Parts: sequence; C-alpha cells; structure tokens
Amino acid sequence: MENKHITIFHGPQHPGITGNMSVELDLIGETIQKATTHVGYLHRGFEKLVERRTVIQAFTIVCRICVPEPDPNEANFAAAVEELAGIEISERSKYIRVMVLELSRLAAQFLWLAGQSGSIGLYAVGQWAIADRDLILDLFEELTGARVYHMYIYPGGVRRDLPEGFLERVSKLLSYMKKRLKDYDDIFINNSSFKNRAIGVGIISKEEALANGYVGQVLRGCGIAADVRKDAPYLIYGDLDFEVPTELGGDVYARALVRRAEMDQSVHILEQVVEKMPEGEIMVKMPAHRKFKLPKDDTWVKVESARGEFAYYMAGDGTEKIRRMQVRGPSLVHAYTLLENLLVGAELSDVALIMNSLGICPPEIER
Amino acid sequence: MFKTIKSNFATADVEVKRQDLYKVVIKYDRLSALIDFLYNNYTYKILNAITCTDWIEEGHFALTYLITTEDRSNTFMIQTLVGREDTKVESFSKKFKQAQIMERDLHEMYGIDFIGNDNLKELSLENWVHTPPLRREFDTLEFVNEHLTFREGREDNVDVKAETKRLRALKKAQKEADKKAKEAADASALKENEDGK
Repeated sequence: MENKHITIFHGPQHPGITGNMSVELDLIGETIQKATTHVGYLHRGFEKLVERRTVIQAFTIVCRICVPEPDPNEANFAAAVEELAGIEISERSKYIRVMVLELSRLAAQFLWLAGQSGSIGLYAVGQWAIADRDLILDLFEELTGARVYHMYIYPGGVRRDLPEGFLERVSKLLSYMKKRLKDYDDIFINNSSFKNRAIGVGIISKEEALANGYVGQVLRGCGIAADVRKDAPYLIYGDLDFEVPTELGGDVYARALVRRAEMDQSVHILEQVVEKMPEGEIMVKMPAHRKFKLPKDDTWVKVESARGEFAYYMAGDGTEKIRRMQVRGPSLVHAYTLLENLLVGAELSDVALIMNSLGICPPEIER
Repeated sequence: MFKTIKSNFATADVEVKRQDLYKVVIKYDRLSALIDFLYNNYTYKILNAITCTDWIEEGHFALTYLITTEDRSNTFMIQTLVGREDTKVESFSKKFKQAQIMERDLHEMYGIDFIGNDNLKELSLENWVHTPPLRREFDTLEFVNEHLTFREGREDNVDVKAETKRLRALKKAQKEADKKAKEAADASALKENEDGK
C-alpha cells in the first residue's frame, strides 16, 4: 500500500514532549519530511515583568523560568546584579552557591534520566530516577525551605546559612550516589534496549555544532570539551578539580554517555566543596531593597547548567528597576535551528528520544 | 586588537568589563565590518545572543550582539544604537544560522525588521496586532484591562480598600440586624411570659 503524506502534531499534550511546546511533523509513512517547532503555550512574560519590579521583587520570579533546573536562573540573576552594583560576595557564599548548583545539576540529570528512559518505554528507570531526585530535593527543602523553586541564591550571597549537620547529610547522600549511579549503567546506559534505539540516531556533526552555537551535551557529545565552568570559570570552579566528559558519536547515545559521566563529575565536585567549605559570612551588607538602584550599565553573565551554557544579559538605568533582562538558555537555538533540521529523515518513534537528548525547556524560549 | 577597533570601528574605547568580557559601542554602519573583523582575525565565531534594550526616553534601541571565541573563553558585547520607529537592520542569519531565530524573536517583541531574514513570522504570540510587547510603551496592565475578562468567581482585580470597606459595612449591618433580632426575640419572650402569668 502506498504511504500517504500526513501532518501530525507531536505535543503540546504528549508524554514525549519536553514541556509545553509542539512539533508539527510532515510524514510519509513513519519518516519525517519536515519538522516545525511551535511555542506559545505558556508565555508568561518574565522579561517584561522584571522591568516593572524592583531588583529584589524581580529576584523572586526568575527561578520560575525553568522547572527542572531553576537555580542557574538565580545564580545568573544574582551575578548580574552584583556585577552591575559592584558587590563582591564572600568566599563561603561562593562555595555554598557551587554546592547548590551542583546538587541542582544532579537533580536535573535525574529528571533527564526519567524523561529519556520514558521516551522508549523503560519506565522502571524513571521511577528510580524520580525517587533518587527526591533525596536531593529533601536536602533543598532543609536548606532553602522549598523543594523546587528555592529563591536561595540572593544578590549579595545566599539567603541563609547551612543548617547544623547539613554537610554530613550531603556527604551521606554522595556516598549513596556513588554506588547508586552504577545501577543506572546496568539498567539503562548499558541496556541493549536503549543502545539499539539511541546509537546512530540524531547525529550532529562537530562542524555543525560549532558553527551554529549549540551548547552543552550537544557539543560535548561530538567531541568538543565545552563547559563554562572550565572555559570562563566563575565562583570557585577554577579552584576545583573536575573533568569535562566528551564522546565522539554525536548521536543520542553519545549525549547520554556524556550526561551520565557528568553525574559522576558533579559528585566529585560536591565532595571537594564539602571538604573545603570555609567559615565566614554568607551575605554582604546590601542596601534596603526599595532603595537599591542599579547604575546605567549592562553586563552578560553565564553559568553551565545541566543542559549547557545558560546566560543572562542585564541592563540597569539608574533606577530601582531593571531596564532589560534577557535570558539565553540552550533551548531557543536547540528547539529551532537544531531540532527542526535534526528531525528531518528521522522516524516518528524517535522524536521523543531525540528531543530529550537536546535539553529543550520551552519556558526559556518564551521568557 | 583594541587599538584597531578603536581607530577603525568604535566611537569610544573598548571597555574591559571582566577578564572574559569586552564591550564596544559602535555606529550602526560599522557593525557588519566589526563582526567580520573579529570573526576573521580573532576567532569570534559563535553568536551567543542578540539583545535589544528600549531606551524610549532617548528615542533609540540599543542592539547588542554577543559574540564568543571558538574556545569560548572571551566574549565581545558589540552595541549599536538604532532608531525606535520603523526600524530596519541587516540580518546576520546568513553568517550565523542561529541568528535566524534570535532575529525572529526580536522582530516579534520589538517590531524590528531584519532585512535578509526570510522567516520573521510569529513565534510565541498568535494573531498579534498590538504594540510589540517588549517595547516600553506597551503597558501590560492596561492591555489586560482592555482585552481580557476575568472568569466568574475568579475576579482578582477588585480594589482592596473598597472591598475591605464593603465587607466591614456588611459585617456591621449583619451585627446590627442580629442585635435587633435578638432584642425582638427577647421582647417577644418577655411578652409571652407576662401573658402566661
């Protein structure tokens, strides 16, 4: 029977879509001829809202830009404000920020494990991953009072000091993780069900990745050791020992191997942070928030999120409000420039698999 | 490099904002040449972002192109000022593929036309005919009040002071009514007792 040309929408209500977005797929049979990304389902206008609030009022909403990994937003916001206002934070608060960012990276990678495994029907992996992520969220709840949106990395430092015995509990979790992560190799990474589906799928070349400004595991999965923590170190990353894992395949499997290796690196970084955590102040003296003004100046700050380079542009205008804040996560370019091209020629059943490997988070597109 | 940029392209010195971040402000007609200069001579080959800041009181947009070296160790903020009305600027989508979507985003949010970008259709808005929303003259609250209605029972646009006053008056009236009812009931009970005697 002759295959007909059909058009279907993958998302926004679909378990295989990474958030509130959709991909319009033109198919002949099961093969994708054209893919068109659509967003617009959750436009909340963060960048506009920020312009109408004082700096500290704006701080409370930026974490909501990304559910899987809110903390890079807080870190970028705080760093941009501090840079514009000329504030130097304490050594202890830098260590605590790195601890939060690495715990956040681990939590986000567990969420990715759940999504990636779910995209091919390996649901047990997802259940394990969500349960393990919850152990990290328990620590976040103790430290910040919240499980997901922490509002903790505050301009000037961090909002509260570590509770008594907190570092011991982090160490205990890290010991557990070192053993536990190996289980994921057995159940998922080395599982032939995953390998058969992921190897040779969604291939990106090194040249294309460099030329088009792709970031994160997309770059590292094709052999480019790109990581903001190494390339332009911030906080205390320059003093820490860690590697940037890379793979050469450029496919979904290579990106999964990179992510899995990054989880080990996060554990390694956290161990060093726990060991070296200095004593001292956690917050420098800040002006009263209603009188806190940013000078007429601008800056560009970035961190390495679990999905790649994550940056903020911020401009002050001499008032209590921020003139302009632009969020630049990996998703805008990955969901359009990359995904729309990568899906052409792929099979319908691989759409969720490919999407999950690219780290696309729609709220970053519709800031 | 900084001297060449100052003499050939910029109107002021290159500002070293951080060890890994430089900024230069240039006239719009030198933008393309400076990007080419950095691209060809200093490996600034990655376009990270294009941002726009609306300086409505000064009558211009500040367009900032953020370009990073191939090893991602240094970033240049190249800023140029363009007019706010009927703004048309050159597209960099041929040089940097990712510029296509960045320019489409700015077109939607500020109404800037990027000449040479062949896909500036709607991105996250739908059938939008109003002022581009990130322009400073776009008032979100005014737009909501004019175009949106609250679902019944979900109104949250009440005047808090007026509502508090109304509720207090309601409570007071209720209290007085209860008092009167109690007095009437007491009087009636007293009368019944007296009649019984």
